[in-house]
Order: sequence, then structure tokens, then C-alpha cells
Amino acid sequence: MSKMRTPAMEKIEKKNAKRKKPVKSTPMRESWKRFKRNPTALIGLGVVCILILVAIFAPLIAPYDYKVQDYSAMMQAPSSAHLFGTDQFGRDIFSRVIYGTRYSLIIALFCTIAALFSGGLLGIIAGYFGGTVDTIIMRVMDIFQSIPMIMMAMCIVAVLGNGIPQLVAAIMFASMPTMARNNRAAILRVRGSDYIESSEAIGVSQIQMILKHMIPNAAGIMIIYFVGFLAVSIMMMSSMSYIGVGLTAPTPEWGLILNDGKAYLTSAPYMMLFPALMIMITCFAFNLMGDGLRDAFDPKMK
Amino acid sequence: MSNLLEIKNLKKYFSTPRGELHAVDNVNLNIEKGKTIGVVGESGCGKSTLGKTLMRLHTPTSGEVLYNGEDIAGMPMKEFKQKYRTNIQMIFQDPYASLDPRMNVLQLIEEPIKVNHKDMSKADVTARAKEMMELVGLAKRLEGSYPHELDGGRRQRIGIARALSLNPDFIVCDEPVSALDVSIQAQILNLLQDLQEERGLTYMFITHDMSVVKHISDDIAVMYLGQLIEKCPANEIFKNTIHPYSQALLSAIPIPNVHVKKERMILKGELTSPIDPKPCCRFAARCPYASEGCMEKEPELREVKPNHFVACHYAEKFMK
Amino acid sequence: MSENMLNVENLVIHYETDEEVVEAVNNISFRLKKGEVLGLVGETGAGKTTTALGIMGLLPPKVGHVIQGKIELDGENLFDKSEREMRNIRGKKISMIFQDPMTALNPVKTVGEQIAEVVLLHSRCSKVEALKRAQDMLAMVGIVPERYKDYPHQFSGGMKQRIVIAIALACEPELLIADEPTTALDVTIQAQILDMMRSLQKKQGTSMILITHDLGVVAEMCDHCAVMYAGELVEYGTVEEIFDNPKHPYTKALYQSIPSLDKDVDRLHVVPGMVTDPSNLPEYCSFADRCEAKCDLCEKADPKMIRLNEEHCVKCLQYTKEWEGKINE
Repeated sequence: MSKMRTPAMEKIEKKNAKRKKPVKSTPMRESWKRFKRNPTALIGLGVVCILILVAIFAPLIAPYDYKVQDYSAMMQAPSSAHLFGTDQFGRDIFSRVIYGTRYSLIIALFCTIAALFSGGLLGIIAGYFGGTVDTIIMRVMDIFQSIPMIMMAMCIVAVLGNGIPQLVAAIMFASMPTMARNNRAAILRVRGSDYIESSEAIGVSQIQMILKHMIPNAAGIMIIYFVGFLAVSIMMMSSMSYIGVGLTAPTPEWGLILNDGKAYLTSAPYMMLFPALMIMITCFAFNLMGDGLRDAFDPKMK
Repeated sequence: MSNLLEIKNLKKYFSTPRGELHAVDNVNLNIEKGKTIGVVGESGCGKSTLGKTLMRLHTPTSGEVLYNGEDIAGMPMKEFKQKYRTNIQMIFQDPYASLDPRMNVLQLIEEPIKVNHKDMSKADVTARAKEMMELVGLAKRLEGSYPHELDGGRRQRIGIARALSLNPDFIVCDEPVSALDVSIQAQILNLLQDLQEERGLTYMFITHDMSVVKHISDDIAVMYLGQLIEKCPANEIFKNTIHPYSQALLSAIPIPNVHVKKERMILKGELTSPIDPKPCCRFAARCPYASEGCMEKEPELREVKPNHFVACHYAEKFMK
Repeated sequence: MSENMLNVENLVIHYETDEEVVEAVNNISFRLKKGEVLGLVGETGAGKTTTALGIMGLLPPKVGHVIQGKIELDGENLFDKSEREMRNIRGKKISMIFQDPMTALNPVKTVGEQIAEVVLLHSRCSKVEALKRAQDMLAMVGIVPERYKDYPHQFSGGMKQRIVIAIALACEPELLIADEPTTALDVTIQAQILDMMRSLQKKQGTSMILITHDLGVVAEMCDHCAVMYAGELVEYGTVEEIFDNPKHPYTKALYQSIPSLDKDVDRLHVVPGMVTDPSNLPEYCSFADRCEAKCDLCEKADPKMIRLNEEHCVKCLQYTKEWEGKINE
């Protein structure tokens, strides 16, 4: 009902008539609604979904085995037989890049989860308790952070040796300070809210306060950082492989493929172009999605 | 008359980079059972801090708060939580910010019951929460709604239900109606009054709105920069205002009547800083009647006539 | 020359989003004479601020739509103006003071610069002259002119609101719109600010629209008073008429729900129900659902504004002929 009908109202009524039942509005649904309205965020999400599918169905998509060396077809430029060309051992770069998606996504996911459970937890503790606990944790993190991330990761690999678990540990340690800082900020923002005080007033214990009120309310911001960190992890992993620490050949990791191609940069630029593009697209997609999530969860903060 | 609460020399200082902030300074106050004490003052006068200190949301710097004769200010937090958390409750100022946005109405009202009665079965908790919803006038269909879907009045009803669900004797109402529209404000004030009559509640009603405080309170305490400067029965303060600050506060209220043209006492300047205050009358800097005597000594709260306490060296001068 | 400097006619403003249409302002008309102060009273969501933003031409882009009506300032329809012309009018002819003084000032510029900026924008003068004017303005609102070099954070809340007022008045606008100028302030500070605004308004002869929810402020400051409910003007008249002789049930209820300082009332009168949702207005009288004087007629027709006498209009069926018939039945 209304005082004065306008075309806009009819449009909305038509739209609502199509819907069967009015959807119950929860904070989560509201966020999803905002996310859906954001085209760039949807593009990001779409690309990420495609990448995940590619990773799952890599054996079906890839035309060749990523580690089979074909000496009859070395250093071939992109063609219909080899979409992205071949490398100096005759391996199909397209297949390697496709399989690389598996490594990049899975390792990045592990790294970020590990960072969340170490750095994130420290940040939450520091943010919640404040005072001396906060000071001690954050100063240790400051010391960590004063060492460049990549340098730190390299040192850890140097000590622990090459391999995927070592790489994950290295990236985790290197990204711990940032993760701690972000999560602490997220908790501090929630900590200052009136509803925390009102829960304190009804006698909610500290553990419950963190689990039931602070983490659920800070979760939105934490997810934003989480997605952002996936991009950072992929970058770090590739950079490390590129300079030859962490993973070893013949793992088809994007950084390693880049490394393979660097000697032939002038004669066969395609060898570096495609893996580099993949890294770029992946990070870009994660960042678009992260920005979309920020707008969705936190409409006030832009 | 029995005092439910006796506040003795209560102090709450905050340390800031610029010095000690005397948020609540040497407050003495008795609160009778079943009565409402109104605490008024401008922003920064320490009225909210006083309420939160009674709630133990702040730990007092020094002083005593006797609740039925037992000091609750000095007791360990754990003991306080066990013995008194359910007795003393609070209704918060901003119903928009004081409810967790990720919980629905029923969950919000169940929370205090769950937390404090761990032995209660889930069904009992829900039944009790529903009972509370009815008590404060929240319709049954709102059970699954989230705070963001409700208007200020209903949100404040949730806040009241949360406090009442623990069966408290004493409720600190921290500006419970200042964020609400006038027509909704009246609904909430009436609800608070009804609940008080039904359950014999004792209120500390903190507000900056003189007309609201006059309406709801039995006694009124005026605060200025952390100190109590005047305390008397509600009617008395409007008839025989003594402290110059209270006079100014009263004369500043715009009256919704076109024919009453008040002689207004406009104060110069603004609230001075409560950080490391000098030992003199804190109002002296803005007081139109201040003399040298005011700058030398801090006035104490004294009974100038039965039940009327004033902290002013020259209180007798202002008495009618 | 007509005496009405501002003339708002049949103004309708909607906010349109993908999910809903909010009927913020519904067919309101009012006039403002030169040098007059009009109080716009109402609760949250009554459309007070939207009306003000409509006059300023500052409705949120894409969302806020003027559906019909006109706003004439000195006989010229503001909706015919280009954005450029409007920018010239804002600040020079119409100024607005917002509720929150903290966000209205730029934290990295001195207050002197901020006042001078407005002066420079709208009048041809040198920077030195503008700064001189800034100092005069500060003195006028009761701040030591020497403080023009200070930054906003060095002032208290009340002082900041004074500076905001100084900026708004710097170009001697013909119309000042003050949106809850004292709501964020303490009573003693509010008294100072109101006192100052009244004397400045008298001195400069500025017309003013004062938006507030506080009837006390209206009684003290205004010549005319317009009561808004759900985007409509429900009652309009001189303050004397509105305060001594309120006619609309909503206005009456408003008075009764404020606790009084001089009378002892045991229980407050309550307007039942909630503020009407402006995204779902009824076709009949918007207040009918909460009204205690309603009859079935009220749920059938939307009342028109009725002129009771020279100074008093009300939008309620009680004062029409149809009503009498109904009562006699």
C-alpha cells in the first residue's frame, strides 16, 4: 500500500510476486545479498570457482602428463597441439600449469589455515585480554615482522629443508605477524561494542564471550583477511619456488615453471608468460573476492 | 526505612596520559529498597561510570558499596559473580549497539538465563525467556527476529527482558530512553514503572533529561565532574533548588510552553577537565556567584535541611 | 515582491532501492516569510531531514527522487536549476547546519581557513579579507577571534557547533536550515547555542527552518510550527496556536507523552503502537492505526489539509463535515 504509486513500486511488487515466500532476514543473508549485487566480487568468485574446478579435474583437462618429457617436441611455441607451448624438456606447459593449480590452491589454503590458527589465535588472545598479554604478544610479532617475509621463509626452509610441509611452515611463520595484527584489530573493534559490555553485565564468562560473541561478530572481517591471505600465500610460494627454495622440480608449481623458463626469456617468452598470467589471474580473483566480501560484511567500512 | 545499597566514599579514577581522571570522586549515596534514585548531570560528569562501577563493570579505585550490608565493591570478582551478579542488573543506553547483532530475540533473552542457571533444562530456559518476552510486551512472532529488523523501542524491551530474566532486585538504568522517540519513550518509562510496582524493584536511573528524571524518580542526585553536588527528594529539587549548578541546569531546559518566558541562567564556558582537579569547588570556574572562598576549599556534601544535601559553601545564601 | 521567500508546494520525495520504496515526504506544502523561524517537529523517520535535503538539493544521488512538487526560493523553482547553479545557491542563499558538529568540520584545516573558504567561494574578495571575515564570524558566535588558527580537535563539542554555525552564516544566507543543531549537546550548552542562534537570527534577519524533536526548543525559538508524521504535515500554525490549541490527535498525544516539569503525572500518556513504517504506508490516514479518536471513516479516506483559521491548518477528518455526520449517526 502507498500514498502515491510510482513505477519503481510496481517493479518491486512484480519482483516480490515472483518470489514464493518472503525470506527471513538474518545478518548472514543480508551480507550475501550485498555480495550478490557486486559485479566485480561475483567475477572474482566465478574465477575462483573455475580455478577450483580446474584443480579438481586437472587429469581430465590436461592433454599430457605434466612430467613426461617428450624430446621430439622441445621448446615449441604455442600451437594447437601444445596450447601454451613446451619447455626445454618437451613437457607440455599447459598441462603443467593446469596441474600447478592443484599445488598452488592447496598449499595456499594450508598456509592460510596454519597462519590463522597460529597468528590469528595469538591476535585474538592479544586483542581480548589486552594489557601485558597484548604487549608481549605484539612485541614478539613486531620482532618477527622486522625480518622481511620472504627472507624469513627462506631461513626456515634452509633449516628445515625442502618439501611441502616445510614450505607451509615457512609461509605460516612469515605471515604470522600480519595475521595476528589483523585479527587483533578485528577483535578490538568488536571488543569496544556495547553488546560485549552488556554480556559482561549478565555474567557471560570470558571463554563464552570470545566464542559466542566476539568471534562470530569478528568473523566477517576475519574472512576478508583470510581470502586476502590466500592471494599473499600464492605470491609467496611462487616467489620462493622461483628463487629455488621450498619446492623442487619436477613439481609443476607455477613459480617453478617460471624458474624453468627464465633462462629462455628472450628466445621463448611464452614459457614464462603463461604461468605468470595464472599467478596474476588467481591473485587478482582472490583480491576482487576479498574486496567484495569486505563490502558485504562491513558496509560501513570502505 | 531499609537501605538496599549504601555507597561510601566511592572513587573511580582512570589513569590517562595526561593524569588521573577523577570520573567518580568520593560519592556517598544511600538507595532505599523499592525506590528510584535519579542521577543527573551532563556528559562527562561520571554518572555512567558510577552505574558501571556498581555493576562491577569497572573495579572501583577505593570506597565501599554495601549491598544489604555486605561490601560488593571490594569482594573478589568470582565471589561477586556467584553471589550478586543476578541481583544487580543494568539496562543500557543504546538499544542499537547493546544487543549482539548475530543473535535473534529469543537467543538474546535466553542468554542470561543459560549463563546463570546452568542446571536448567533447555526447555525451561526457553519457557522462561518466552515468559519474559510477554512480560515486557514483545509479541510472540518476534522470537526469531534479529535486532536490525526491530525499532528502538522493541530493542530496548529486549534489553529490559535480558536484565529482568535474572530476577534482580536492583537495576541500573543507564539512559534507557534517551535514544528513543518521545512516543516510544513514554511506553518504556511506563513499562519500567509497572515492573517496579509489580516486582518491588529498586532503580538507579541515570539520565541527562531533567523532565524524565523528575517523572520517574523518588530522589534525585545531581553530579558535576565526578562529585555529587546536590541530593534531595525529586519534588524538592524543582521547588527549592539550592546549588547554583542545579539552578543553571534547570533553567536551561526548554519548556514546551509558549507563555512561560523563563529568566535563563546561561552558564559561561563548558565543563572543565576532570583530570587532576584542584582542591577547590569544581564548579567555581563557571559559577556566577563564585567568590574567593570557593577557590580555597572543596565544599563537602552536607545536609542543609532535612533530607536535602548540598555541596556548596554558600548553600544557605541560596535557600528560600 | 511577495513576502514568502520560500514556498514548498506538493512536495513528494521517495527513496528507491532495489528492495523497497520509502515514501519519505508525502505531498507537503508550506511557506516561509522573510525573517521567520519555522519549527519542523516529528519523530525519527517523519521526513524532516529529507525535506531539508530536498530544499538544499542534496538528496542522496540515485536513491533519492523528487516525484512531484516544487520548491521556490524568491520566486524561482529550485528544481529548474542546474547542479552548478545550485552550488552557488548553497552556502550563499541557503545554508544548512547538521546535527553532528564533529563530522561537519575538516580535521586537517584550521577553523579560520574553513570559514574563509566559504567566503571566498561565494564572494569576490581577497584571502586576507576572507580571513578577516572569518575572525569577525568567530567573534560573532562567541569564540575569541585569535583562535582562528586552531584546528577543530582543539575545540569542545559546543564550540565546534558554534564554528559550524559561523561557517553557515558567513555569507549571510537568506535561509538557514538547522537540522537538530543542539541534540548532540548538553542542556547548558544547548541553552548557550540557542541563545546565540536567536540573537544572530534577529540581527541578520535570516529566515530559519529549525528541525527538532524537542517541543521545548520549538516553543522557545520559532514563530511557526509544522508537525510531521510519516512524511506528511499533520498540523501547521503559529506556535501559539499549536501549543495552546493543538488539534491533531498526534500533536495532542505528543504533548501528553512528554513528562512535564511543573505537573505531577503518575503515568505518562502513551501513543500505542510503533512509528508508521514509511516503506509501507496505508492509503488512508497514516496515523489512523495509532489514533485514539479514529472512526471507520479514517480507514477509508486520506484527509486533506484543512484550514481552521488564518493561523492554523490541520490534516484530520475530525474537522470535516463528514465527521459530524458520522458522529450524529
